[in-house]
Amino acid sequence: MTFTDVSRADAISAEAGLVMDEESFRAFYERNARSVWAYLARLTGDRYAADDLLQEAFYRFLRAGSAYESETHRRNALYRIATNLARDARRRVLSHPVGVIAGDDIEKVAGRQAAGSVDQSADVTRALSRLKPRERAMLWLAYAEGASHNEIAEALGLKPGSMKLMLFRARRRLASLLGKDTR
Amino acid sequence: MPRYECEFEAEVLAAAIQSRWPDRVDPALREHASKCQVCSDVAVVAAAIDTAREETRELPVLPDAGRVWWVAQMRARREAALKAARPITATQLIAGACAVGLLGACFGATSAWFQESLHHLATIDAPGLLAQHGALAAGIGAVLVLVPAAAWLALRKE
Repeated sequence: MTFTDVSRADAISAEAGLVMDEESFRAFYERNARSVWAYLARLTGDRYAADDLLQEAFYRFLRAGSAYESETHRRNALYRIATNLARDARRRVLSHPVGVIAGDDIEKVAGRQAAGSVDQSADVTRALSRLKPRERAMLWLAYAEGASHNEIAEALGLKPGSMKLMLFRARRRLASLLGKDTR
Repeated sequence: MPRYECEFEAEVLAAAIQSRWPDRVDPALREHASKCQVCSDVAVVAAAIDTAREETRELPVLPDAGRVWWVAQMRARREAALKAARPITATQLIAGACAVGLLGACFGATSAWFQESLHHLATIDAPGLLAQHGALAAGIGAVLVLVPAAAWLALRKE
């Protein structure tokens, strides 16, 4: 990319009101798209919805126009947008049901992908789909994305002080659903 | 009161995510987890979610970053254009309201003259007058129809 191209891209970004230049966006997208897609797919239980919501999440992130202190804040903001989009999508499905049950679609495809661990995968998917959406989001962020309590709170718009208890309860519930209640 | 966290939680989590749990960990940690609800839950949940994550991450055929970028650009521009058009619409509304007010004021100021003119018109022989100035009446009628139509067409193109 030449200097002229960079200036042109910056000018277009500024004109469109986007906060990143193309190169930074590409790098940010490459680093996060796959994880955000997985998060959206697990929250909605519908991989096609996840495809659409992924693009919408990145678009809204760009349009938010916020300056972030660090990559972590930027990432938390993206997850927060994704969480809200998944919640809205779920509300739409609940108000206009089309027969998609959270987890069903993902379960089928995941089963095809990894035939060796179908049973375990299906169990986990079923158990996850029986959690409340917020519990599912919390556990996914904590154990799939390795997010800290503060990061989870930021991404879900919750108070950091209540995260320990909420995470404990969600974890307890999932462990019970997985049939591994150790009490 | 139940404990919500444990000092060994992070160690158990790391072992579960690295697929070392339960066989390739310190026996003392395994022994602790068998008695600690927090750690045993962490081990089970972390291992299960890590498996699900690995599978889910392999699924998507993600759109190219460049494509997502340009689609975002196009949408942002379109939205920016719509946003820019909004103040014009507001200005037009204000101008319309002002014009109606002005017309009202003019009508109020000239109402006596207007009533008098109406009364005068009632006494006029309309068919005779129309026959006398037919071409002028047709011209005025045409202008009254064509000008708004032309204005509507021009604005519709914009």
